[in-house]
Amino acid sequence: MSRFVFATAEYVSGDWESAPALPENLIDSVARYTSIDVAPVGVNVKLSSPELFDHPFVWMTGHLPVRFTDAERRNVKRYVERGGFLMIDDHNHDVTGQFHKTVTEEIERTFGKMTRLPNAHELYRCFFVFENPPPNTHHELNGYGDDLLHRYLDAVLVNGRIGLLYSNKDYSSEWNFHAETKKFMTQDPTKFGVNLIVYALTR
Amino acid sequence: MRSRGSAARVGTEWGLRLLILALLAGYLVHTLRVRYRGATEASESRGLAVALARWSTVAAPARVHLALSHPPSVLERDWLAALPGAGTAVAWAGGSLLPTAIAVDPVADPAGGVEVAVATPSAVTVELRDTLGILDSVRTVAAGVRFTVPKVRPALEAEVGPVVARGTVHDSLELHRLLVLGDAQWETKFAIAALEERGWQVDAHIAVSPRHRGDVQQGEIGDIDTSRYSAVLAIDTTAARYGDRITRFVRAGGGLLLWSPAAKAPALAALAPGVPGTPIVDEHQAPTDTAPRTALEVVPVVRLRPDAIVLERRGEAVTLAARRVGSGRVVETGYTDAWRWRMAGGDAAPDEERTWLARLVASVAYTGRREMAAPPTDVAPVATLIDRLGPGTPKLDATGVMALTAVLRWVFPVLVAAMLLEWSSRRLRGVK
Repeated sequence: MSRFVFATAEYVSGDWESAPALPENLIDSVARYTSIDVAPVGVNVKLSSPELFDHPFVWMTGHLPVRFTDAERRNVKRYVERGGFLMIDDHNHDVTGQFHKTVTEEIERTFGKMTRLPNAHELYRCFFVFENPPPNTHHELNGYGDDLLHRYLDAVLVNGRIGLLYSNKDYSSEWNFHAETKKFMTQDPTKFGVNLIVYALTR
Repeated sequence: MRSRGSAARVGTEWGLRLLILALLAGYLVHTLRVRYRGATEASESRGLAVALARWSTVAAPARVHLALSHPPSVLERDWLAALPGAGTAVAWAGGSLLPTAIAVDPVADPAGGVEVAVATPSAVTVELRDTLGILDSVRTVAAGVRFTVPKVRPALEAEVGPVVARGTVHDSLELHRLLVLGDAQWETKFAIAALEERGWQVDAHIAVSPRHRGDVQQGEIGDIDTSRYSAVLAIDTTAARYGDRITRFVRAGGGLLLWSPAAKAPALAALAPGVPGTPIVDEHQAPTDTAPRTALEVVPVVRLRPDAIVLERRGEAVTLAARRVGSGRVVETGYTDAWRWRMAGGDAAPDEERTWLARLVASVAYTGRREMAAPPTDVAPVATLIDRLGPGTPKLDATGVMALTAVLRWVFPVLVAAMLLEWSSRRLRGVK
């Protein structure tokens, strides 16, 4: 049976590789906290390629404007409708930023308007329990980007399941640290990342 | 002196008189034979309804013989079966009537549907139809054919030549929940998703952490028995922790669908139809709509138990096998990553993968049955005909005697014509 492989989305426009340390930190957390059979290294997968469908969980982030090609848009739509989980995180943490503006336009062009995910959603308690979800990031608390605390995540739901999750929280910055840094942290900030993966693998 | 013409005329008159006497004598003898041995009548399918009415009222033949081009209706068949009780033996022949039988069973699937099995001789064309028209048509290779009809129809007919077998669903099924047991992995996730999309209610225990503290539970997993669950789906070895309960459940009639890793677990191996072999890995290729499962990795089922049956093969490798355990059924699947079919297959892949998995579940699922009102059917017309009237006989009984009414039908006109001719001839000659 196939093991879980953390996949990062490559897309033609923008800077898809903006959080290069994030995969290894999430892989480490999944291996540390769960019994999930996880591959020790992640992969990069082109949104326009057939290989996208080998990875039902894909992480997508960036700072720069995102414009999907026709092939990317077609694949992303098919991927989400078939049960894939595409996590898109705004690395700018800025609702006036180019990534947010363009990627949300692309999402709405492909799927229509996103649904606001209720904070009682099982995503926030499927493994670790988060009392005041979604968990905040240091970038929000320190006033970077749009200087807002985003209270909700948005989603595209397919048959009641999250097919695409969109965040302005900038988890890409929060989890993109050198692995050695973790030992100086009082709380592991990647726990919510574990929930994302557990949710994707179980719902 | 008489002329030669007049002599011939007199001779003809004598001939006619002799014919009249012969007819009367013959009819007298026939009447005595009928009284002594009884009459035989014959009929074809077309005139059977009229003949039955006559045989039961004005005529009472000792025996009747039917040359059937299609099976009699249920009413006619019952009527024919009642004739021997009134003293009329019934024989029949119908070389073109091919034995055909239909069985209609509801499928244990929330999406509904029925499975139709039609038993026929080989190399015949079977037409399946409902009240609105033809649903499907198949030429049989072996003795029979199976159809899956997605929606329940009030009545279904299988037509083979002149024979029409009519069946209907007599039971409605009570489906319970499914229980899925597995690790947090794609196969578990997509199996649950496919079954829920199909309409099943699914409980699940998905192992996520080493000591199961953070495991994902869906629904209340209480007693694993047939009052709560129709089937258990064991994806991998984590299901083994429920081994004893699953064994009791299956022996009591519950269904079990085993993926290869689960079939390896000692607690479940005793239930499995076979042993998982060495995985067969094809070059990584996307499943196609025409042969979707051939692109999937498969762990063949080897060392099959004597009571196991093979449901599917890929070449020599057994990919699906089944067996009965107690009152329950177990299917072992060698496809460990069927989710790839749904994700990477053609346009129809998600629906086909759902349907395929739902059929596997339906093949093992325990269901309560509730009888429901159903229209009259005729599931095996030729077999019932043989059962009621005995096997067909190719020819009319040679010892039979034609019924008086049938004899009279041609004797009377000939007799009257001969008498008139004889009388006219005499009068024209001037003889009284």
